Amino acid sequence: MATRDHEPEESSKKIQYPLDAKAYKILDEIGVGVSAVVYKAICVPMDSILVAIKAIDLDQSRADLENVRRETKTMSLISHPNVLRAHCSFNVDCRLWVVMPFMSCGSLQSIISSSFPDGLPEPCIAIVLKETLNALSYLHNQGHLHRDVKAGNILIDSDGSVKLADFGVSASIYETNTAPGWGQSTSSSPLMLTDVAGTPYWMAPEVIHSHNGYSLKADIWSFGITALELAHGRPPLSNLPPSKSLLMKITKRFRFSDYETKKNFKSKKFSKAFKDMVASCLHQDPSNRPSAEKLLKHFFFKNCKGTDFLVKNLLHGLPSVEERFKGGKNSHKNGSDGEDTGSELVKQRRISGWNFNEEGFQMEPVFPTEAKDDTVVKQVRFGGETIIPDNKSSGSDYSGQCNLSSPKQDGEEAQVVTQGESEGDNRELTASASESMGGSGGDGGEVDREAMVGGLVALRRSLDEQRQQVSNMIVLLGGEVSREDQLVQLNDRLRMELEAEKQKNFELEMELEFLKLQISGAYNSGGTD
Amino acid sequence: MKGLFKSKPRTPVDVVRQTRDLLIYASSGSDIRESKREEKMAELCKNIREMKQILYGNSESEPVSEACAQLTQEFFRQNTMRLLITCLPKLNLEARKDATQIIANLQRQQVQSKLIASDYLEANMDLLDILISGYENTDMALHYGAMLRECIRHQTIARYVLESQHMKKFFDYIQLPNFDIAADAAATFKELLVRHKSTVAEFLSKNYDWFFADYNSKLLESSNYITRRQAIKLLVDILLDRSNSVVMTKYVSSRDNLRILMNLLRESSKSIQIEAFHVFKLFAANQNKPPDIVSILVANRSKLLRLFADLKTDKEDEQFEADKTQVVREIVALEPRDR
Repeated sequence: MATRDHEPEESSKKIQYPLDAKAYKILDEIGVGVSAVVYKAICVPMDSILVAIKAIDLDQSRADLENVRRETKTMSLISHPNVLRAHCSFNVDCRLWVVMPFMSCGSLQSIISSSFPDGLPEPCIAIVLKETLNALSYLHNQGHLHRDVKAGNILIDSDGSVKLADFGVSASIYETNTAPGWGQSTSSSPLMLTDVAGTPYWMAPEVIHSHNGYSLKADIWSFGITALELAHGRPPLSNLPPSKSLLMKITKRFRFSDYETKKNFKSKKFSKAFKDMVASCLHQDPSNRPSAEKLLKHFFFKNCKGTDFLVKNLLHGLPSVEERFKGGKNSHKNGSDGEDTGSELVKQRRISGWNFNEEGFQMEPVFPTEAKDDTVVKQVRFGGETIIPDNKSSGSDYSGQCNLSSPKQDGEEAQVVTQGESEGDNRELTASASESMGGSGGDGGEVDREAMVGGLVALRRSLDEQRQQVSNMIVLLGGEVSREDQLVQLNDRLRMELEAEKQKNFELEMELEFLKLQISGAYNSGGTD
Repeated sequence: MKGLFKSKPRTPVDVVRQTRDLLIYASSGSDIRESKREEKMAELCKNIREMKQILYGNSESEPVSEACAQLTQEFFRQNTMRLLITCLPKLNLEARKDATQIIANLQRQQVQSKLIASDYLEANMDLLDILISGYENTDMALHYGAMLRECIRHQTIARYVLESQHMKKFFDYIQLPNFDIAADAAATFKELLVRHKSTVAEFLSKNYDWFFADYNSKLLESSNYITRRQAIKLLVDILLDRSNSVVMTKYVSSRDNLRILMNLLRESSKSIQIEAFHVFKLFAANQNKPPDIVSILVANRSKLLRLFADLKTDKEDEQFEADKTQVVREIVALEPRDR
C-alpha cells in the first residue's frame, strides 16, 4: 500500500478527463451490445490520447439508472493495475458515455476467436490468469463481486498488461442492505447475494440455484471456467448427454457441436499443476474453493513469466481490434470485442450440476435426463437484469418441475391420450420426480421436504387425472361400461324397486284400512244391535 | 502475518483509540520528518482497515456483535467521527473507502438498543454541512455522499438537512456534468424526499412555493436528459405517496404544472413519457378540476387521445392500461366550454 506523504492525494486523484463530448473524436466502432456501443476514440485536449468510450443508451437499457449509477461508481472508485478503471462518465443526450483507457489488443475472447481457435499455450494462460487473479483478489478484498468473469471481459493492452473489465453486473456485498434491488434477499447472512447475474456458461451452480445465496466464491468458479475457456478456446459445454431437444437448442445457438467432434484438444497436454488449480476452482461446494488470494499462491503460478512474454507470444501479428470486430460482425459469430456480447444471450435452460473431469480437463454439465426439461424452471436473463423465477414459490426447482410436468396444470401438455400413452406419461412423471430428488441431493446436500411433499401431491393429483382420462377413454372406445353408468343403472333399478315396494306398501295399507273398517263395522253393528 | 499479531490481541476499544490518536496527528501540521509521517499514515490506514473488519467481518469470520458494540461506543464517546471526516482528504483511496464504509455501518449499530450515532450527529449538525459541501469537491463527493445518505436515515438529521439552506444546492448538484457525482446527489435528494414521510409532508407544505418552482424550472425543464428522467420519476413517488395528498391536490390544480407535464408527455423518451403519464393521470382524475385545467384538457383533447393510443409500456402492464382507460374516459367526458 503506497502511503507516501504527499502521494496519497495524488494516487487517489484522477487526472480529470473532459466531461464534454466535443473533446472526443470517435474513430471506430469496436463493440456492440444490446443497449451499448463501444467506440475507439481520441481525447483531443489530452494530447489525442486513445480512449474507449462505452455509450450506453439509457432509454433503451432496461436496467434502471440506479444500476448504471452503481456500475460507474464502482468503476471510478477502483484503483488497481489489473482492473479497468473509468476515466470519467457524463451524459450526451440520452446516452451515458463512460470513458475508459483503450486496451489496444481487445478482449482475450476476441483474440482467441480470431487467432487461437483451439486455445492458448499454457504459459500464456498462466500469465493471464495470474493477472486476473490479482484483480479478483483486490476486488474481493473490497467486498466487490465481479459476477461476470470470462475471457470476453479480460482485456489486454499492447504492452501485455491485463485488465479485468465490465462491471455491468458487479455488486458489492456491503451494499446488500442499502441497494433497493437486492432488498429481497432471503438469506440470513448479510454477505450473500441472491439474484442471478452473469453469463450462463461461466455461472457457478449456486448462482443458477440462487435461492441459497452466493458470495465471492462464485467468481472463483467463473475463474475456473475461464481457465478452461482459455485452454480449449471456448467455455465447456461438450459431451452433453443425448438429451435430444436440449442438445439441439444449445448446439444450434452456440455452435458447440464441433467441440465434441474435434477431439484434437485431447492431444493437447496440460500440466498437472494447471489441472489441479482448475479443479480446485470447480468444487461444487463453494466453501471448498480457494479464495483468490490463496489461489495466487498455487504452484501453477509459481514460475509464471512476465507480461512481456505475452507481447511476444500472443499479441504479435494480431489483427487490430477494429478489424476483428468487423470480421466478427460479418460472420456473426462470437467475434466481436467482448465488451457486451455476453449480455445478448437470452436463453432458458436448466443444469442440475456440473462434473469436472480432471483427466479430460473438461467440464461436463449434468442435465436432467428428462426430455421434459423444455418446461424450464428458471428463466435467466442477462445484461444486468435479474431473473424471473418461473414458479411463484421461488423456493425450489423441484416442486416447480413436478408441477410443470403435471399435464393438467400445463395447458400445452394437457392432451387427450390413449391408454398406452397415458401409462407412458405416468412413468415419465415418476421418472422426473425421482430425478429431482437426485438433483436436490446433489447440490443442496439435503432434500427440501416441503418441496418434495408439494411435488408428490402434484404428482398424485396428476395420477388421479390420468386415471379419469383413461376411464373416459375406455368408455369412449366402448370397451367397458363405466362405473358411473353402472351406478346410474343400479340407481334406476333400485328406484324402480323402491317404487314397486312403495306401491305394494300403499296397497297393503289400503287393505289394512279396509279390514279395520270392516272389523269396526262388525263391532258397531254387533254393539248397537 | 497473522501469527505475529496473535501475541497481543488488541480490543476494539484499543483500535479506535489508536485510530483517534493517529487522526489527531494527521490533522495537525507536520513538524516531524517525512519518513516518520509516512509511517504514521500507513499505520492509520491499517487501523482503519481493522475497524472495518471488526464491523463487517472478513472472508473467514462474521462480525461479532459484542465487538461491534464496543467499537461503536468508543467511536462516538469522543470525536472520532469528526476527525475521520475532516481527515478524509488526507487518506489514500483505499482508506477513504474503508472510512466511508465504517461511518455507514456505524449509523446502524445499536448499543443497548439505542442508535447512538443519531445522538452524536444531533449534537454535531455542522458535520452534515461538511458532508453536503463535499459534492463540490470531485475527489470527496462520492465518499461524503455515501456517508451523508447513511446519516439521513436518522429522521432528525434528515429534517435538519431538509430545512437547511443546503436543500437549494441540491438542484445544482443533481445537474453536475460528472455523472457519478450528479447521480449520487440525485440519490441523496431522493432519499431526503421519500424516506421520512411525515417530515417530508411537513417540509413540502411549508416550502411548497419555492420548492416546486425550482423543481419545475430547474429539474423537469432541464436540458439534461438524466435530470429530467430522474426528476419525473421522483415526482411520481412524491405525489403518489398518501402522506403527501395535500401537496398533490395543490400540485394538480396548477395550469403551469399541467403545461410542463404535457410537454414531458411529448418527449421522445419512452421512460419519461410513461413516468409523465403517472403524474398526468392525477390531473385528469382530479374531481375538482379548476376551469383553466379543464379548458386546457378540452383544447388538447384529440391530441392527448391520439398520444395515449400510442403510449404503451414495454412489458404488459394491466394497471397502466387500466389507468389509461380511466384517463381517456375522463377526458372524453369533459364538457367543452367553448361551445
